[in-house]
Amino acid sequence: MPTFKLDDIEIPFEKGETIIQAAYRQGIEIPHYCWHPGLSIAANCRMCLVEIEPGPGQRAMMLDVLKWDAAKNDYVVDRKPKLQPACQQMAAEGMVVRSENSHFVRDARAHVQEFLLLNHPVDCPICDQAGECKLQDYYMTEQRTPKRMLDEPVHKPKGVVFGDTIVYDAERCIACTRCIRVCDELVGDHMLDLRERGNKNEIVTAPGRKLEGDYTLMTEHVCPVGALTSSHFRFKARVWTLTQVPSICPGCATGCNMFVDVDPREQRAYRNRPRDNEAVNKYWMCDDGMMTYLREHEHRVLTASVRRDGTREETTVEAALERAAAGLKGVQKGWLAVLLSAQASTEDNFVMVEFARQLGAPLYLSAKGPWRGDEILRNVDQNPNRAGAVAVANNAKVGSLKDLLHAVSAGQVQAVVGLGTDIDADAESLAVLSRVSEVVLIAAHDGPLASRASVLLPAASSFEATGSFMNVKGIAQEFRKALNPKGDAVPAWDLVARLGRAMELDLKYRKFKEVRAALAVLTPAANPERAPVVDPQTPQITPPATPTTPSTETNP
Amino acid sequence: MPGKTKVMKKPVRTLADQSYLLEVVKGLGTTLKHFFQGTGQMVSGNVPDAVKYPLAEGIATISYPEEKRPYAERWRGVHRLTHRDDGSPRCVACLCCSTACPAQCIYIKPGEYPEGDKRRGYERYPVEFVIDELRCIFCGFCVEACPCDAIRMDTGTHMTAFDEKSAFIYDKDKLMSIVSQHGTQKSENPRHEPGEATHPGIDRLRGGH
Repeated sequence: MPTFKLDDIEIPFEKGETIIQAAYRQGIEIPHYCWHPGLSIAANCRMCLVEIEPGPGQRAMMLDVLKWDAAKNDYVVDRKPKLQPACQQMAAEGMVVRSENSHFVRDARAHVQEFLLLNHPVDCPICDQAGECKLQDYYMTEQRTPKRMLDEPVHKPKGVVFGDTIVYDAERCIACTRCIRVCDELVGDHMLDLRERGNKNEIVTAPGRKLEGDYTLMTEHVCPVGALTSSHFRFKARVWTLTQVPSICPGCATGCNMFVDVDPREQRAYRNRPRDNEAVNKYWMCDDGMMTYLREHEHRVLTASVRRDGTREETTVEAALERAAAGLKGVQKGWLAVLLSAQASTEDNFVMVEFARQLGAPLYLSAKGPWRGDEILRNVDQNPNRAGAVAVANNAKVGSLKDLLHAVSAGQVQAVVGLGTDIDADAESLAVLSRVSEVVLIAAHDGPLASRASVLLPAASSFEATGSFMNVKGIAQEFRKALNPKGDAVPAWDLVARLGRAMELDLKYRKFKEVRAALAVLTPAANPERAPVVDPQTPQITPPATPTTPSTETNP
Repeated sequence: MPGKTKVMKKPVRTLADQSYLLEVVKGLGTTLKHFFQGTGQMVSGNVPDAVKYPLAEGIATISYPEEKRPYAERWRGVHRLTHRDDGSPRCVACLCCSTACPAQCIYIKPGEYPEGDKRRGYERYPVEFVIDELRCIFCGFCVEACPCDAIRMDTGTHMTAFDEKSAFIYDKDKLMSIVSQHGTQKSENPRHEPGEATHPGIDRLRGGH
């Protein structure tokens, strides 16, 4: 692999890579605003300027500049090398690049930074980006000088509504055009454009358009400053009170990698952010995926309940488990059906399959129906773990919910034990379930099936327990516990194991790592801890070191 | 260690001292002097201010809580939220105070000004602003953190004892009703509202572009 030198560090690069890209892959960040690894090169912010030594036998291109001489109290003529944008300059074998080591580069960055802040309102206290703003970061690392311009800054529109999801502040904008490029290159719809020039320029929506579609929140995600804000997150929290936990989007079968930002004091999820993964979602997520954190607090099953004489009574988890075990013990072997869930984690489904195997019960799968897919990220299947649920069945036949309802109407089923409350059939067809004497459901969210349950047990959601999903490509990916389980919720695998033990089955799982270890032996493909599949065609871009996340202990 | 030795003279006890009688009368005399001095001051209504003249002759105590010592100018009392000229809070709900608070006793719910308000886009405002005065340790970090001089502890009053817990939870209205020890609800630091003549600068309409 050819290499070049950046500040005396040898950086390997692939042919056609730029300096900033090769450095980024090595975890070295050259300061930048407009460059984004997933977008085209604009080279308009001028923050990533570096000094490149002339090749052997070549002269450096020098520019005449005026330099302030404090002794003479006047400007004097000086010379400086022409700097190159690292985001646009292709790396070449043996190239010598100076970044931190060159005082010309450090000067240039300080001046670019001062220029970008000339008309900035510096309203950090009320800006949602404060704490993760590149203007703040680079002010501290590159500038650290007070503003010298005495004139009044140019004022531009504030609080402009771009669409249902995005609010724009032109005064904070540095016109890096990342948001425009996201619309052009990711979505392929030129919804945003620049208006005016120089210090008057601002981002506007295209005439007659508003910012709409499935990827509007990505414009906010790529904004390096506080110009674009999400109307959902706007004014809700300060980022320094949030903790980022690596997770997997539960929205669809693509399994986008994400961070869920939670406030550990309030035990509340505040937003999702894409987590870079070249093999799955690259740098992006869709709007519906970004909003899945709302599900965490909506329509939750928080207490166990049992049905007695047609009415639902809340009870403790222990009492509900006893009642479920007593009800299921009377069912003859072979008359019990087990329902896996494409919404539950692989580990939950794995223990459920064990449960079914010991009882000789046939397997079925509950899932949500299809939604609107697209060519970019959204999969038509809005279940994050259909592949995982099928994989842990280890070649056993897994029928659909319709198959289960068919078996019930044929009188082949006396009792059902299931994960999840989602259906992909019409709700009226569930009426046949009234023929079944016992329906035990373990679910995190309320759904159409819940009304048919004779025992409903509260499970932890995918934000509240560690687990894994296997996406449509067959990649098993782990999500970590971000919040404490709410109410009486317990991880579903634990409820299944406890139910099994109450029915005198051999389900010894008491700790999450025991489930994971058994999963790794029985279904190695669904184990997220095995070495990740690397596609040699796509370069693996390692993002710069991210802040550490708290250790996540799963067991209650 | 060599040094000068000071020889103390042993006090001579006379017969009068030995009898104690005279000394008891002398001591009572001091008590009676203060008694008549104090009574005389109270009758004539001429009590010196014990706070201002603590070393003055006569009564040296104050009748708390009818009388109170004034606290120092920078003494940290109960919080107040300062007002703007139009009576709205100066607070922009930036959450800097609640971030700085080591006791985590401040809860703020920020909100956006409605469409058409001149402050929309420029500022946010506290929909709710609650301080749990029981948890507060009166460290003053919130005042230091505030970029808008919106929260102050210059009220000169300390926390009153209430007989129920909920009375210690001060909400926005309560905090805005408290005045400083000089009786004002505002702050001496000026602020400029967007759209006002005192607000510096041009905007897109006025700037002609």
